[in-house]
Formats: sequence, structure tokens, C-alpha cells
Amino acid sequence: MSTLTADPTTTTRAATSPSTAEVNSTFAGVMRGEWIKLLSLRSTWWALASAAALMTLVSLAAAMSLNAMADDPVTAPGIEQVHGAEIVASGFPFGMLIIAVMGALFMTGEYSTGMIRSTFAAVPTRLPVLAAKALTLVVLTAAVTVVSVTLSYLVTMAQLSRYDLVPALDDPGTWRVLGGSVYCLTAAALFSLGLGTLLRSTAATVTVALTVLLLLPGTLSFVTLDWVQTIVSYLPLPASSTLLTTGTTDVPGADLSTHASLVVVAAYAVVPIVAAAVALRRRDA
Amino acid sequence: MIEAHQLTKRYGDKTAVDSISFTIAPGSVTGFLGPNGAGKSTTMRMIMGLDRPTSGSVTVNGKPYGHHRSPLREVGALLDAQAVHPGRSARSHLRTMAATHNIKASRVSEVIEMTGLAGVVSKRVGGFSLGMGQRLGIAAALLGDPRTLILDEPVNGLDPEGVQWVRELVRALAAEGRTVFLSSHLMSEMAQTADQLLVIGRGRIIAAGPVQQVIDSVSGGGVRVRSPHAGELAAALAADGVTVTLPEAGTLEVSGTTAEHVGEVAFTHGLLLHELSPRSATLEEAYMSLTQDAVEYHSHTAPRSKTERGQNR
Repeated sequence: MSTLTADPTTTTRAATSPSTAEVNSTFAGVMRGEWIKLLSLRSTWWALASAAALMTLVSLAAAMSLNAMADDPVTAPGIEQVHGAEIVASGFPFGMLIIAVMGALFMTGEYSTGMIRSTFAAVPTRLPVLAAKALTLVVLTAAVTVVSVTLSYLVTMAQLSRYDLVPALDDPGTWRVLGGSVYCLTAAALFSLGLGTLLRSTAATVTVALTVLLLLPGTLSFVTLDWVQTIVSYLPLPASSTLLTTGTTDVPGADLSTHASLVVVAAYAVVPIVAAAVALRRRDA
Repeated sequence: MIEAHQLTKRYGDKTAVDSISFTIAPGSVTGFLGPNGAGKSTTMRMIMGLDRPTSGSVTVNGKPYGHHRSPLREVGALLDAQAVHPGRSARSHLRTMAATHNIKASRVSEVIEMTGLAGVVSKRVGGFSLGMGQRLGIAAALLGDPRTLILDEPVNGLDPEGVQWVRELVRALAAEGRTVFLSSHLMSEMAQTADQLLVIGRGRIIAAGPVQQVIDSVSGGGVRVRSPHAGELAAALAADGVTVTLPEAGTLEVSGTTAEHVGEVAFTHGLLLHELSPRSATLEEAYMSLTQDAVEYHSHTAPRSKTERGQNR
């Protein structure tokens, strides 16, 4: 028990020590707090590592499958339509899966563990917490996406060069697809963060987020009603697809223009975050 | 300084806290006493701005908690030892809170030393015992060197040494002029720690004031007398307008007067006494008497009837 013994007389002296002379709450401080929170959990590192690994591996698999495509006389001419950057970014849905879960846990983890009470005791106005979490998530998501895309670019290079598909760095199409990846994954992270703040429960948030982000477009594609297909084109994944292609290939369900896609994807980030901000101010912690 | 004014919290049609008003003064330890479900935690959560009052208001150091620019400097709170992510180390947990107020790493180390967590600070909190969790919660409360401390059930799960430590810590903090407000459902703990008491039951304040005054207001004191002349003494005391009961032969329970007075009466009547003892109610008795009508969850220990047992089979 000796390690847990504290002398009350030293306590009193230390409690008034000068090291607390300058104690001030600032938004930069709140940001730093959220940054430490995210990076001090092992699950964050697992999520980031598996997102990068999965996105890289899937892009490699997509590049390898060009061989099969080239061998088949029916599909072989299609290769000319493919943009190399689309192959590099093809791990996108897997990245979305992990980033969305990470974004959800960033907030729901606070509610499920009770940490939220410590958090709001330190920042009782609450909105800086949401803002800081959003910013932290944007930075981290963008960083892991850039790393993943870079890794994907490197591991697919040999294979893509056989078909003369290595994305050129002076080609705007390349930057459109790679930039689109960062943009859409960041939006997915914010979508989950907002949803997690509204629902608070990890299970509910992950279920709803993954259904909307990934599951619905596939399941609804079997419903061939026009109005259903219109809805599908506004779902996050089809809307993102427009930004993840150079426009030469035809992606099923992706019927929106580039500008419309940018707006729709942004709305998936902004609307839940704004709703979360309103709820956060009103509800009991 | 904590001031509540007609503070009320309703959840649906259930009133958890019912229009309570109180002032917690600096420089002393105020105990917040009440049975489970009486409204202690709800009140503390409203003080901390975590729950919004249905009506009424509460301020800490002159302002609602959320209006303080640097709230950790004003108020340190242990609301729940479980308000920690179990996947984070104790040091990381303290660092996340310290960062929001730009509190230096040296202060984090200080509170770790103070609370005796140095040996386990790198371990993940999920593996902590309840007692270590309490120490971490207290460390977090002390981070900002606050003028006011709010501790909800701080001794829960602590071993005797830990209990002793918390007692000395809160007394030392109050002696420095800070406001210390701590809740408990353990009356014996309060008797040894608190200067002032705020007793709550079913969301209402039942009693408030210095510890001894609260106890006296309930018990009114009393004197126990044993005498071979019990009958004569009872008659002599009753003539003075004192209430006397005879629980058993040769023994008197006298209330509404002092032991000195009983002794004088016995002396003037030439009556022999075998025992003359003033009885002050313990805080425990006072508490039970105060809250017996205000206990939310009574335990029913009555034996089951035959039919009930039959149904269970």
C-alpha cells in the first residue's frame, strides 16, 4: 500500500504551489486536450494502421485484377477507359468503414465510459469540445488518407506501369481523384462524429452510419424504381464516386455533377454537426 | 461559495430535486447527506452545469459554473469515479484535462504525487480498483488548484487508510479557506469530516447547520438514570414538568432536561443514584430519524407468506 500513501501535509503545500499560477482555458488548449485524447487510445492507432493497410492492399488487388481484365477479350478494351488514380484510390470504401467507426467512437466513447462528464466539467460551454473534435478528426483523417494514397500509389506503380496507367502527377484528373478521397473521407468522419453526438450510443451510431454510408447504395440498387434511384444517387457513396473518378468511366448510381457531388458530400458532414451542436447545448450530459 | 436558489430538477413527472435553496460557505467542510436517490448527485450535477435545472438557479463563486472563463480553476469536482475512459492511462487522462486549461505538466505530476498514484500512473485506468479510481478522480479535481471542491461520495471504495487520507485532505483544503462540499450516505463518515451538514431526502432539504446543531435538533438530548428509588425520583422529576419514561424497573429515561438538574433533584430528595448519564444522539440516530420518512428505497425484510413461496416454485 505504500505506493498509494500520500502525506496530507505535503498535499496542502503542493495545492498552493506556483505551478498553477497561470491556468487559463483556451480553445487551443481544448484542441490539445482532444488531440491527446485521440492519440492516447490504442484503438485509434489500430484504426489508423488498419485503414492505411486496407486501403493500400485493396488498391494493390485492384491493380492486380487488371491482368484478368486484359486477358479477357471482352473487357480488355475497357482498360483504356480506366484512370490510374481510380485504381490508386479504389480502397476508399474500406477507409470509409474504419474512419466512420473511429469518428463515431471519438464521441460515443465519451458517453459510454462517462468521460463526457470530465470533459464538460473542463469545458462547460461544450461547443468548443465538438469543434475541437471535428478539427482533430479532419486533420487525422486527411493525414491517414494522404499516407494511404501515397502507399497505394507506390505499391501499384509496378503493376500500373505495365498498362501505362501510372497516374501522372501533372494530370488534373489524378489530383481530382486523390483530393476527392481526402474530401469524402473527411466528410464521412464528420458525419459519424455528428451522428455519434446525437445518438450517443456506439452501437446505434455505428449501425446507422455504416448503413447510410456503405450499405444502402448496394441494397437499394436492386430496386429499379426511378425515385429510389434518385435517392441512391444522393447517398454518400454514389455522390463520392463522382469525385473519385475522372468522369470517363460510368459508375452506376453516380448521376450527380461534380459541383452537386461536392455540395451533397459536404452536407453529409455539415448537417449532422450542426444538429449535434444544437443538441449538445440543450441536453443534460 | 456555492449558492442555490429554489433549485429544481424534474425528470418527466418525477421530481428529483424539489426547490432547494442553500449556501455552502468557504473555509469549512460541508457534508451533503442523504439516502440513495435523495437527489445528492443530481444537485451536484446541476452545480457543475452538467444537468440543466428545470427551474431555479445555482452559482459557484458568484457565477453559474458555465460562465467561468477557466472553470477548473474555480471548481474541482469528483462527480463519478467512472468518468474516465478505461483505455487511457491515468497520466493521459489527467493530461487531457490539464491541456484544456493550459495546466503545466509539472502540476499534473504534483497531483499524481499528492494522491499517491505515482506507482500506477502509466497503467490503463480500466484495470484500476475502485479506490484507485477515486484517487484519480480526486487528482483530476485538484488539477486547477480550485477555490471550490465538490466531491460526490469520495470515500466510496477506499480502504481505511484512504478514508483517513481523504478526511485529512478535505480538512486541509478547507483550512486554506476553500469551499469543500462532499456528499455521502455514510453518516459516521460525515460526523468525523464535516463542519456543516446539509441533509437531503426525497429532493428536499430536511436539515442544515453545524453538525452538532443538526444532531441536537433531532434528539434534544436526554439523560439515563438508574436508581433503587426510581419510582420516587420519577415522581419528583415529573413534578418539575420533565418527561420521564420507565423502560425497565430501576431505570429512567429523562428528556427535556440536563444531567445536572436530575442530580440536583435526586440530592434534594435524598435519593441514591447508581447511574446518571447524559445521552447525546449519534449522527447515525439523528440521520435515521431525519430521513426515515424520506427514504426512497426501503428494504423489505418481512418473511414471505406461504402463498408467495408456493407461487415461486
